[in-house]
Amino acid sequence: MTTEQTPDRWPHGTARPARDTLIVLALAGYAWVASAAAPFSGRALVSVLIPGAALGLIACRRAPERIPAPDRLDVTGFSYWAICVAATLEWEASAFRSGSHRGHPSLTELIDPLIQPHPVRSGAFLLWLLAGWALVRR
Amino acid sequence: MSRSITIIGFAVLISAMAGLEFAARRGISRIPSLGQWLGYLMRSRAGRALVLLGWWWLGWHYFAR
Repeated sequence: MTTEQTPDRWPHGTARPARDTLIVLALAGYAWVASAAAPFSGRALVSVLIPGAALGLIACRRAPERIPAPDRLDVTGFSYWAICVAATLEWEASAFRSGSHRGHPSLTELIDPLIQPHPVRSGAFLLWLLAGWALVRR
Repeated sequence: MSRSITIIGFAVLISAMAGLEFAARRGISRIPSLGQWLGYLMRSRAGRALVLLGWWWLGWHYFAR
């Protein structure tokens, strides 16, 4: 991890915009239905198991054209990320350890109320699906 | 008071990571983007499996519980 790579530039173009739009619409429909499931229900569990299994299979069997991974990372550049991730985990752990949900809410306790409205929840679910697809392409 | 401090802490950390991603994507530094360092971790089969498992866990944690 010593040398930098050319960073991704955005926004990215797409070779088949019509197909990609249809896929995103289908995923949005799935997200809308799946996010309506009651928490702790079998349906809610199945609704996250299906995309997990599908992407797992795609990753193992039919990997799409992958974005080449960098051979090396700049150590200093990556260290900023490592510090932020470690600090977030520590902050979360300290909130959890305090035992006071009111005084020291965890990130989950802060996010859960925000994603309770169905449109927001389905948007978050769609974002999760798209993040999974982006990961499979890596 | 402590609740506010906790929330501000999370906001600062999330903003810092958003700033890192922005800087990485604009190419104004040697900071790798989130996709680049995750891609680096996912070069091995084990790393790939762990990162995908982490992604699935997030979905289960927020949408199935």
